[in-house]
Amino acid sequence: MESRETRLIAGKGQYADDLDFPGMAHLVFVGSPYGHAKIVSLSVEKALAVPGVLAVLTGEDMVAHTNPLPVQANFKSPGWTWRLADVYAMPRDKVRWYGEPVAAVVAEDEITARRAAELVEVAYKVLEVTGNALEALEPESPKLYDDWEDNKQVHLKFDFGDPEGAFAEADQVMHITNREGRVTGLPIEARGCVAQYDTKMDSLEMWGSFQTPYLSRHNIAATLGMPEVKVRINAVDIGGAFGLKIHAWKENVVALASKLTARPVKWFEPLKDFIVTGPHQRDVFWEGDVAFNNDGTLLGVKATVTHDLGVESTNKGIAALSIFPACSAVPNMYHWKGMHIEGIGAVTNKSFYCAYRGYGKDKGIKFIEHALNRIARKLGMTPEAIRLKNYIQPHEFPYHQINSYVYDSGDYPGTLNKALEMADVDHYRAEKEKCLEEGRYIGIGVVSAIEPAGVAVPNCQMGGITQARVQITADGTIEIHSDRTEIGQGSEVSHAIIVSDILGCKREDILVKRVTSDYIGQGPLSSRGAVYPASAVAKAAKMLKKKVVTCAATFLKAPEESIVMEDGMIFSIDHPEEKLTYGQLSEKALFFPGPRGLPVEMLKNHDHLLDVTTTWYSPTTPESGSSYTSFCTSADIAVVEVDIETGATKIIKYVHVHDAGTIINKQIVDGQIHGGIVQGIGEALSERLDYDTDGRLLTTSFSTYLIPTAVEAPDIEVAHLETPSPFTETGSKGMGEAPIIGSKAVILAAIEDALSPYDIVVNDSPASPERVRKWVVEALKRQEEAQ
Amino acid sequence: MKNFIGSRAIPDLVYHCPENMEQLMDLLGHIQGHFKIVAGCTDFIPAVRGGRWAFDDGLELIDIKKIPELKYVTLDGDRIRIGGATPLSMIIGAPAIKERAPGLAHGLTTMASPQVRNVGTIGGNICMSSPAADAVPSLLVLDAQVIINGNQGEEKSPLDRFFLGPGRNIMAPDQVLTEINFPAPAANESQHFQKVGTRDAVVISIVSAASWLKVDNGKCQGVRIAMGSVAPTPVRLPGAEALLVGNSLTLDAIDACAKHASQEITPITDLRGSADYRRDLAYTLTKRTLTACMNDLM
Amino acid sequence: MKMQVQLNVNDTTHQLEIDANATLLEVLRNLTRHQSVHRSCEEGECGACTVLMDGQPVNSCLILAASVQGNRIMTVEGLMKGDTLHPLMKAFTDELGLQCGFCTPGMVMSAYALVNQWEEEVLSDMDIRKAIEGNLCRCTGYVNIVKSIRRAKAAKDAGNWW
Ligand SMILES: Cc1cc2nc3c(=O)[nH]c(=O)nc-3n(C[C@H](O)[C@H](O)[C@H](O)COP(=O)(O)OP(=O)(O)OC[C@H]3O[C@@H](n4cnc5c(N)ncnc54)[C@H](O)[C@@H]3O)c2cc1C
Ligand code: FES
Ligand code: FES
Repeated sequence: MESRETRLIAGKGQYADDLDFPGMAHLVFVGSPYGHAKIVSLSVEKALAVPGVLAVLTGEDMVAHTNPLPVQANFKSPGWTWRLADVYAMPRDKVRWYGEPVAAVVAEDEITARRAAELVEVAYKVLEVTGNALEALEPESPKLYDDWEDNKQVHLKFDFGDPEGAFAEADQVMHITNREGRVTGLPIEARGCVAQYDTKMDSLEMWGSFQTPYLSRHNIAATLGMPEVKVRINAVDIGGAFGLKIHAWKENVVALASKLTARPVKWFEPLKDFIVTGPHQRDVFWEGDVAFNNDGTLLGVKATVTHDLGVESTNKGIAALSIFPACSAVPNMYHWKGMHIEGIGAVTNKSFYCAYRGYGKDKGIKFIEHALNRIARKLGMTPEAIRLKNYIQPHEFPYHQINSYVYDSGDYPGTLNKALEMADVDHYRAEKEKCLEEGRYIGIGVVSAIEPAGVAVPNCQMGGITQARVQITADGTIEIHSDRTEIGQGSEVSHAIIVSDILGCKREDILVKRVTSDYIGQGPLSSRGAVYPASAVAKAAKMLKKKVVTCAATFLKAPEESIVMEDGMIFSIDHPEEKLTYGQLSEKALFFPGPRGLPVEMLKNHDHLLDVTTTWYSPTTPESGSSYTSFCTSADIAVVEVDIETGATKIIKYVHVHDAGTIINKQIVDGQIHGGIVQGIGEALSERLDYDTDGRLLTTSFSTYLIPTAVEAPDIEVAHLETPSPFTETGSKGMGEAPIIGSKAVILAAIEDALSPYDIVVNDSPASPERVRKWVVEALKRQEEAQ
Repeated sequence: MKNFIGSRAIPDLVYHCPENMEQLMDLLGHIQGHFKIVAGCTDFIPAVRGGRWAFDDGLELIDIKKIPELKYVTLDGDRIRIGGATPLSMIIGAPAIKERAPGLAHGLTTMASPQVRNVGTIGGNICMSSPAADAVPSLLVLDAQVIINGNQGEEKSPLDRFFLGPGRNIMAPDQVLTEINFPAPAANESQHFQKVGTRDAVVISIVSAASWLKVDNGKCQGVRIAMGSVAPTPVRLPGAEALLVGNSLTLDAIDACAKHASQEITPITDLRGSADYRRDLAYTLTKRTLTACMNDLM
Repeated sequence: MKMQVQLNVNDTTHQLEIDANATLLEVLRNLTRHQSVHRSCEEGECGACTVLMDGQPVNSCLILAASVQGNRIMTVEGLMKGDTLHPLMKAFTDELGLQCGFCTPGMVMSAYALVNQWEEEVLSDMDIRKAIEGNLCRCTGYVNIVKSIRRAKAAKDAGNWW
């Protein structure tokens, strides 16, 4: 069978925009031009009068035909704040963010729908906007949701270990603040789907860029008030997701449009729509103290992180959920005595928050890594020395971290040492000094990060559910089903490698099926692909292997222990000349002679089909409550040169050492690393969602929301350690997020190091040229004043 | 306020594609209703999709990119002449430009992407009259002249006097920019362009700057400095120029000139950068482009 | 306004009736069914819609189809020989120069224009990177794309090219 890569490169991808159904109508959303306003009146007459327009849906239709969006995470707990707002897929009375859809035009073709969208007449009464989280929390701030006391959606408080003890025994305490700008993951393909409502069967089927079809089925069925069994969701080729296509929201409107017009309805989302009305992330402010001893021993942290969540997420509760990992990631890979971390989330008039590579883990780690570098500088230590002093050591695994995570395995010092060696840090430190004499500013950043992967938390849709099925068909080809959609992270290849390794079948005889809502699971998110779905697939393949062995032993009249499966052939080691292909074996087992030719035991146990469906659950979570199963680690070293006159940063060298346990496919893992690092570089240097004071988003395109091109992206040197995870079926750890976590922190650290002659604290991202220049100008002024 | 729509429809068009100047002039003489001239369309389509330009009653579009008389780069005696509808990549690759005006070639390669440069034209960049038009500072310091044609006849104007404000210039809607020409720099002249954006590639300038120097015996015989994104139009900086001309070229002199340049401009704060940062960059880029010219010549 | 046009795509001439406001991108996707040409920003910023026009990469979203008369358009479909991948495409699959595959057809066309015109000269990584600056990729970090392009050049030098 043709590989996915061959199919895609030959231009035979089938992405959402490629879907084409007979009689298909097209839907275009009409958004609010204001950040916060009352809808005084809304008239669709003119739009409806355009020839070719079939329907115009509005918030009224949502109230009439749908339910409010369902709750996806709910953590009400004493002492904590956890509020959820009732929102419909489109609002009836009030818009709360720039671009928020107020109507959807359905027409025979897209251009007609776009034209008619101009003619939807909405009168607004503009309201004052709440621009950022800190303002939103002020008592006099305008409220987003009338029935809430204030704009605080979430307030979580965590005590890990013994924070008071830690601070009591510390030699020193350092105050740290850190801010991250608002960003979006922004795949090159935005969202899109086709909905087909079958009016005879009263059922709904959808195809599109669904990252988690099973969850989307549940949420769409709940919104439309349909029995879930009448809804089927299919993922097609997905042009990148990174977490941003987990949710289904506008998709509800598309589904309703299909139902009301009795036509297949297609929605293609222009990129600008996705930036303006898509999931956002980051936008946090950290403030806290870190306690440590004069010898560099880390002791404790007391910190609060305030999130600007934007409006209530269309994945209700899931936005707020990411505050958990942000708080819990702070201990990273070090020994600590105790921490007190509070996570606050405020609603503001901005697009909603949802998942993006990192999902909070990045925030906690960026904060603490920044703190470590500053402490090291203060104590006259190198950044590597403070880390090596405080790492959890290889003999300590499984390690119960103070935050209740159970770290599976790793070699933290080994990982960092390898990176130091590859990056030739000593050479660059000497170079830095030399360059300084010429007025050039080189900096070396060192960061290490942990990636908690494979989330399983209670009271939400991220509970750790997965399902896999491996079937040998009658002709011997093998199909794999799971909940792990292919979003470019190589899940199809990985699954095929796992199964071919276990069954000894040929890779080209395997088809990894596109994911549908038929199989239970929360999909690929939180780097769980190599943890949950891959473990379930491996487990299914192992169970299937047992059956294959029994069948083969029967047909070959040989002992089970002698059966070998290799390169698509099955034979007994005693009679290697007598071979069965998978096709021959399967045909015997199914038809000629069929089940009656199999051992009686198999039939009695109803175990005769070469088809296994199974699931997998983390072995560490039940007792310890560890929300994550595997903990991949990485060390990043970056060398940058800062042009202090323009503020521009150039990356001279980038080294990343990674330990994701057993590697299933190195090329895929490397690809994930490269991609994640460059996304992190974008966050560190140029990506920023900027709202004006009226709540209007200014950075709405690829020419204003600046993701790295090939020119800014560095060459990246990658090396691997492979410390297998004892807790997964394959020894692999979930991966894909560590690179973004490490890279944005390390670039900022390198800039800070480059600017060390000016004693500049780089605690705000992106470190855009303008911002860096501003820091330098301010430092020059400070130096002047001091003289 | 208009509805937010992610990507707007291109209006109904009546499409005209004259094949030579005569057909173009004829069209411009007779055309009724709302019309617009386009060449590469790389500014036109984004402006329509983004709703910055709206033509509710449709539009007569006059596409000039197939007119051979508007596509050329020649060295005519001591002048370099570029046809108004010449794509940027064709200019970059032209031997006359590579040899005689490498600073311009380099400046044009910092614009947009290969795809956009393959169709976007020099005339389009000038006629859009964006304060951030990256081709313009180089052309200003090369002392370029534009030739404008229409049924009223041909006009010539120094590029310096072409721009009236953001998106505004001296041309009437039924006029075409047919040529841009400038004296080919001599051996004792040099020209450089630099820009700064929030990213290196495919980015709109926060500030762009070009300098041109003519040196004899270590003395500055002529200097021109121009900048983009620092005023309502791309501008020459005569005040800064006056500080340098006739004097010995030293790093100190350049520094003083660059300081003056940063005060001579009238930048605003917008999405891409603050006025302060722009002044700061104006200083740095003036210094750097002048120094690069000086290093070429001395 | 409806117009009759002749569109030459991958050496096949299509006689089409189009709307004057249709972009080349729309006509390729909807009328001649070259769905390898992807659509994202529709404003020339992402490069997913890149095709070759007379051998040079262009954004098909910025070109009115009505203006494409007498030009040769090429898409990745035109690089294939039957079912066989072009050596450049093979280089991309060998080096895993693609992940989600969405930017890929456009990226391949820019890469093809580069390698096709690349003769004796030594190109630095930065030269290669500049040639693809108009093609955004969010998945690969570009590292394997640069490798793919070098591998393709080696294939070309070895005479494996068309
Ligand atoms: C992704 C992207 C990146 C870009 N990056 C840059 C950049 O870095 N720097 C920069 O300066 N620009 C940039 N641009 C803008 C644009 O590409 C250039 O301005 C280009 O030169 C415009 O030329 P055109 O032929 O495509 O113009 P068109 O879109 O065809 O025309 C633009 C305007 O000029 C008028 N016009 C065009 N030619 C003539 C003529 N000969 N006579 C009379 N009127 C005429 C038209 O009426 C129209 O109003 C970018 C654009 C895109 C899409
Ligand atoms: S769709 Fe053409 S460049 Fe993005
Ligand atoms: S492979 Fe996904 S955008 Fe390039």
